[in-house]
Amino acid sequence: MPLKLLLQLSWRNLWRHRRRNGIMVLAIALAVTGVMLMNTLMRGMAAEMREAAIDNLTGHIKVIHPGYMADPGIGRGFEPEQGWEQALADVPVAGWAQRVRVPAVIMSERETRGVQLVGVDPAQETISFLGSLSVDGEALSGAEDRRIIVGATLAEQLETSVGRRLVIMTQGADGLNREAGYRIAGTYDADSNALEKVFVFTGAQTVARLLESPAVTEVSLRLESDDDIPLALAELGAVFEDLDVKAWQDLEPQVASMVLVADFGLYIMYFVIMGALVFGLVNALVTAVMERVRELGMLRALGMRPRSVVAQVVVESTLVMTAGVVAGLALAVVCYLPFSGGIDLSAFSETMQMMGVRNIFTPRLEVADMVIVFVLSLVLGVLASLYPARRAVKVTPLDAMRR
Amino acid sequence: MTQHVVECQGVSRTYQDDAVPVHALRDVDFAVDSGEFVSLAGPSGSGKSTLLHVIGGLDRPNAGAITVDGEDINALGDSELADLRLNKIGFVFQAYNLIPVLSAQENVEFIMQLQGIDAAERGDRALGTLDSLGMRDLADRRPGEMSGGQQQRVAIARAIVTNPVLLLADEPSANLDTGTTGELLELLKRLNKERGVTILTATHDPMVMGYASRQVHLRDGEIVSE
Repeated sequence: MPLKLLLQLSWRNLWRHRRRNGIMVLAIALAVTGVMLMNTLMRGMAAEMREAAIDNLTGHIKVIHPGYMADPGIGRGFEPEQGWEQALADVPVAGWAQRVRVPAVIMSERETRGVQLVGVDPAQETISFLGSLSVDGEALSGAEDRRIIVGATLAEQLETSVGRRLVIMTQGADGLNREAGYRIAGTYDADSNALEKVFVFTGAQTVARLLESPAVTEVSLRLESDDDIPLALAELGAVFEDLDVKAWQDLEPQVASMVLVADFGLYIMYFVIMGALVFGLVNALVTAVMERVRELGMLRALGMRPRSVVAQVVVESTLVMTAGVVAGLALAVVCYLPFSGGIDLSAFSETMQMMGVRNIFTPRLEVADMVIVFVLSLVLGVLASLYPARRAVKVTPLDAMRR
Repeated sequence: MTQHVVECQGVSRTYQDDAVPVHALRDVDFAVDSGEFVSLAGPSGSGKSTLLHVIGGLDRPNAGAITVDGEDINALGDSELADLRLNKIGFVFQAYNLIPVLSAQENVEFIMQLQGIDAAERGDRALGTLDSLGMRDLADRRPGEMSGGQQQRVAIARAIVTNPVLLLADEPSANLDTGTTGELLELLKRLNKERGVTILTATHDPMVMGYASRQVHLRDGEIVSE
């Protein structure tokens, strides 16, 4: 049967039952819109969590001592050889930073808190959230800076402020306690209160003097793309043979799991919602086919082959599905655009921060997801029509015309 | 020697009606020659429509052999039977059976489209056939916009436009008034005489029987007279 005739008949048949097909198209469109919008939220959340995890001093890759995760401290430090970064000549690296990070206790005149003391070279910290922090007071001037910056929330808890002194106590490389007083250069305001409570920053050389050790506890790298991780892991593994070279997915397994769930979330949501809808579509198609069984029998009596009848039912179903999916995708884009710049969730900041999401949450509508939904829907449309089509050709032309 | 367009030998067809066998055709021997206008006549349940259907490949006999234009129908599968109906047989049904979403011209072109004839030739032949049946002015109308007689003319145009070897008409006058039936029968007779179309019709309408060149009477599934 010529394709043009097939399309002509199918198209006109669809317009014979405008209300029924219109409702079907609307139902499909709303289902697709729902799937896509839920997916934009999930994608956005996963991307936020991933970005936050990488920003929060993890980077794409980190080099640490094998025992550091279980027992973080300067005793698990190491001294990178000069020029180690030259091993990454083939890898697009956005930046790297060497840090000393040790658990410490910080004390003001009134309060005491457990924190992570991080010695940094501010010039290297363009790769982390530290590089874009909003600081009230002064930022650290360099690795030699002997002042500290603390989170605004921590400062509040310690009932202290910029310009006042705090005492930091931690363990040195020899296992003995070290303590020193530092003046607060500034307080920082991060997206997450959790960060503000945990991280206290000072110059890397300052921490080295406190701990009496030239070692660092981590080397963090930010790459241009996740795709470069395997190559960078291989290159760094050769340089730091006795150390652990880990990708962010290994360092933040919960976040990595969430990103994976978001990848599969599209399929799960799609098949739950569209799967239910397909039963409706099959039912509507069976009704439509049985209503026209006499007409389909007549077409076969005139010489149309059974497979052409099947093709006609399949094309009609696919046209309904296509119309519904296109309308649904268009509606999803229309609904998405006003929120594409981000949604302010500061009213729910505590909850969102627990999930690793920042106050401004940006949903993400991926073209690849739209293509996947479109293709899956076409496949589903064809599958849904096979049963009604088979029923249509099971009836002989003569039986069909007697109805 | 005149060639048989249709030849039936020992054809039987039995239906099961609530497990009770109904013998619609019993050992029927029958033939139609090229250029004939044959009427199968008889009361309801006599088997005339069943004979028409098995000859047209819409139904299969339980026993016996049927050839149409030399092709053994029993040897053909469903798709091959569809091809036989498409290329060699024209059908005119009691209920017209036009495709409701197509115009008169598109209905007439339908079978030619299935045959793969190009658009220009299809258009010319469809309009020419509609013209010869006095229906050219209604070429753009859909079935729902035409009377029963007009629809039946379109159905005839669709049946003859491809020059089939056999035109089968099942109760063609059943839904028509006397005046329209007369016009229709004149048309069939003209097609038979002028174009040599072989026509086999099943009817219990005496008016239709009167126009046929040969009448075959059936009763209880058997031919009782010719």
